[in-house]
Amino acid sequence: MIVARREVLTGRLVLLVIVAITVLPFLSLLSAALQPSNSDPLGIQWPSDPQWSNFVDAFNVAQMPALLWSSILIVVGVVPIAVVISTMAGFAIGHLRIIGGRFIFLLFLLGLTLPFEGIITPLYYLVRDLGILNTKWAIILPLIGLYMPFAVFWMRAHFINMPTELSEAARVDGASTLDLFWRIHLPLARPALSALAILLSVWTWNQFLLALVLVDDPLQRTMAGALGAYQGHYATNIPLLCAGSLLILTPTLIIFLVFQRQFISALLQGSLKG
Amino acid sequence: MDDSSLLQSSHRTNVATELRTRPSRRVRSSNVVGWLFVVPALVMYAAFVLLPLVLTVQYSLYHWDGIGPSQWVGLKNYVTVLTDPDLLGVILNAFKLIVFFTLLPVSLGLVVASIMRRVATGRFGTMARTILFLPQIIPLVAAGIAWKWVLSTSGVVNQILSAIGLGGVTRAWLGDFDFALPAVGIIGAWVLIGLCTILLLTGMSKIDPALYESARIDGAGAVREFRSITLPGLRQEIGVCITVTVIAALASFDIVYVATGGGPGLATTVPGLDIYQLAFAGREVGLASALAVVLFILVLACVLPIQRLARGDET
Amino acid sequence: MIKAKAVGSSTRRRSVRGPGILVAALAIVASACAPGASVAPSATTVSSAPSSSSAPSTSSAPSASAVAAGPSCGTAPVVLNGYFETGFDLPFKLSAEFTKQFPNVTWNISQDQFANLMSSTPRLLAGDNPPDLIRLPTIVSLVKDNLLKNLDSYATAFGWDKWPASELSQDRVAADGTRGSGSLYAAGLNYSLTGVFYNKKEAAQIGMTQPPTTLAAFEDLLAKAKAANLQPIMAWNASASGGGLAFPLQQLMAALGSTQPINDWIFQKAGATIDTPTNLAAAQHLQQWISAGYFNKDTNATEYTDANARFGKGEGVFMFNGDWQDAAYDTAAPGNVGFFIFPSATDGGPVAAMSAPLTYGIPAKAKNADCAAFFLNWVATNAAARQVDVTVGGSNPGGPTDLTIPPAAAGSIINDTLAAGGAVAKSNGAMDFIANSTGTIFAKGWTPELQKMVGGKETPDGLLKAVQAEYLKELAP
Repeated sequence: MIVARREVLTGRLVLLVIVAITVLPFLSLLSAALQPSNSDPLGIQWPSDPQWSNFVDAFNVAQMPALLWSSILIVVGVVPIAVVISTMAGFAIGHLRIIGGRFIFLLFLLGLTLPFEGIITPLYYLVRDLGILNTKWAIILPLIGLYMPFAVFWMRAHFINMPTELSEAARVDGASTLDLFWRIHLPLARPALSALAILLSVWTWNQFLLALVLVDDPLQRTMAGALGAYQGHYATNIPLLCAGSLLILTPTLIIFLVFQRQFISALLQGSLKG
Repeated sequence: MDDSSLLQSSHRTNVATELRTRPSRRVRSSNVVGWLFVVPALVMYAAFVLLPLVLTVQYSLYHWDGIGPSQWVGLKNYVTVLTDPDLLGVILNAFKLIVFFTLLPVSLGLVVASIMRRVATGRFGTMARTILFLPQIIPLVAAGIAWKWVLSTSGVVNQILSAIGLGGVTRAWLGDFDFALPAVGIIGAWVLIGLCTILLLTGMSKIDPALYESARIDGAGAVREFRSITLPGLRQEIGVCITVTVIAALASFDIVYVATGGGPGLATTVPGLDIYQLAFAGREVGLASALAVVLFILVLACVLPIQRLARGDET
Repeated sequence: MIKAKAVGSSTRRRSVRGPGILVAALAIVASACAPGASVAPSATTVSSAPSSSSAPSTSSAPSASAVAAGPSCGTAPVVLNGYFETGFDLPFKLSAEFTKQFPNVTWNISQDQFANLMSSTPRLLAGDNPPDLIRLPTIVSLVKDNLLKNLDSYATAFGWDKWPASELSQDRVAADGTRGSGSLYAAGLNYSLTGVFYNKKEAAQIGMTQPPTTLAAFEDLLAKAKAANLQPIMAWNASASGGGLAFPLQQLMAALGSTQPINDWIFQKAGATIDTPTNLAAAQHLQQWISAGYFNKDTNATEYTDANARFGKGEGVFMFNGDWQDAAYDTAAPGNVGFFIFPSATDGGPVAAMSAPLTYGIPAKAKNADCAAFFLNWVATNAAARQVDVTVGGSNPGGPTDLTIPPAAAGSIINDTLAAGGAVAKSNGAMDFIANSTGTIFAKGWTPELQKMVGGKETPDGLLKAVQAEYLKELAP
């Protein structure tokens, strides 16, 4: 494509501005995090005497290892189960085309646009009655349920595009439905599965409302929930608050930068299908 | 996505013939097994979404403090939601947020994506994409904390304004009745711009370059090119952007909870936050549930027409 | 209410009959592999609301044997779960001292900001794993729902009934739901006092040599401070901390009227109203202060901790606050912060202050209630604890009258506030805080209305009417 030099310059300038605005809050956090603890920093100022020790302090007071471990456990509790059961359902609805599948699918679709706040109240009582309030299960079990509309929708969209000839051939060879699923379709679904897993992991990691309402102990929460608690805790001390927030963000940022292509494409497909 | 509907319809006829020719016993057994495949997902969904949904509707018909006995009040809670000026204001706030959560990201996203398509190829483009996407992967709580700091009295925004001689307009943005809601909206826009931009950019890459070539030969300018080729070609992607961002606006919670707590006054209180406060602090579970049902209906009422518009003529 | 049908019970029916199998199955799954589950879940306890039969008489009284032996923390290791308010050192220091004296007791402490604390308290108390000791902003609605332990038998066992009656009266709730008398449901870690802190250097700059003795004199100082380009008052009014302008407002109310109707309103006496002529005058004064620019411009976005930090650094000649802040000011600006009781409208008129116990309660379902009660008694009677109360908390530790108040360091503001306590007692001017009248009057009434007033969107009259309407709404059955 031939583009005028002037357009290239102005275009890049506009982009730079947008990129700068995107980065600004992060820079501001970093700048404040490097000021002396308990001081009253300005928006962005050159850290003439950078206090890297703030990060050490924040690491200790936020109990980062425990937070990380809790979030990881929750993701591990949610994502594999959610992916497996939604794949099975998507396979049955999209590929096996079971009787009543259309109705079931519509039932799942109903939940696709449901705001979590809409059911958080009964969810609280439900979780309390199950005796799992204030445990990681209070986040894990409801999240699996809440992810089903999207996850089933996603996997159905994958399986509906799978040619039936494959299954036909396997059936002729005497494969059961389970074989069909396990040996043939699951391996073929890997790209869709991994994209779904990435999406659900990010959403779980960032889930705030369920953590806020269902789990009081920050050490049993997701990263976002822990961050909320941390903010309530250290609102007094801006440098420490900023340092802690950045620390809590770091794992996400690192994983994103490493797997950014997968992340971006997963989230794009996710919103396109959602 | 682009040609899935085509695939789908051809696939559908395949299945139809297949169903007709397949022995009926196998159909039945595969149905039983198939249903077993659906059961786990359905159970989790029923337990943690459908049941709570039904319960929300049920609670909404009662006056209940969440602990003591409850009292049947019929539709009274709904009347309150739809007549109480405070609650109406709260609902209206969600719609005002759409301006920022939807209009800004989609329109800016269109501009930025067009620019990126034309001038930001290669390394610079990849870097810009990565950075623009950052707000999308961090928790909204983090966005709230960062922006609360940016918009505070001694934050960057006021710092910049003072530096360019606009010291007179500096203020505590999140504590100002006129600016708190727009400020919250800006936070949402910041989160969503990257997603919209890259979605739209992906959509643009699917538009046949030949269209642009011929437009250029016809002497069309950048604006006409944008209006007659880019925009129509992106119909679906724009629909998706609008859907995602409208839901984000109507169902907002995290950002508001962290950045303003709903204040000053009720200036930034949105339905999601009010449901939480009514149910758990005010202990008006019935009223909170009625608001929840209204919110759900509003989301559906906004999203369904958008979906229809965006996908309407493709089927 | 007699015909009331419990949502809870129908929930139970529904979950057992319809998706009951599923719920039970989930419960089994959960109990089978819940590693962090601190409470054994059981599939049979599928009830959404505790039945009204679980009255405090059965569940809330300490066991008879425990009382006979004197409630204590025993000798076995105990982990006390505390839920404290962010920004206040006192409970943390007290808990550390307690562990030093009773090494078998360790603490697991959570904390949050005041507004968040208020919104999460009912949920925390109703949950399966409530804290053993919790900072309570307000108690009446919690008592009504049987969420708090009745402390009467502890009071008898420890001899709290021999303390000055006024100390615990604010934590008593009568059978009809009014506060001020009846059974005891909480106790104070100490007994705080509010008034006006001032920056000595800046006060001298505007010619203040003596604390003002009339409201007019105080307002004169505010005008002088404004004219001298100083920040007259530093205040917080952001949603997260709650509307701090309630402090000056209530001081104005007491300066212009009597404390009795204010206390009646707070204690939910029948027919009480906040919308009185003198309160209207008070709100008008506050509005004048706002429009004269006496408060920091960003007060609606300023949080409590933020305001204190800024006052400590010299921003603000005056600050309305309580003696719990003494130690922090002593540290931030040694020797430069003074304190006076808010003056009456008339010279020599009665002075008043918000004087409230720093209320801590024990949830009805607390696992270590005896130990928590023992802690409350220890705070009021142990010499070391009382010393912490004064030096860290800045307040009168209360407790039995035969114990003296431990001394504060020379030159500390604590000496000023303790002396002021005597003056308030003399004119019988103690009030509870208007934010404590009902469960959400602060979050849904005072805070948004005061924020609106700061934003120029509410009149003095409208403020009081709106708060009164919210009050009545919350008291409605």
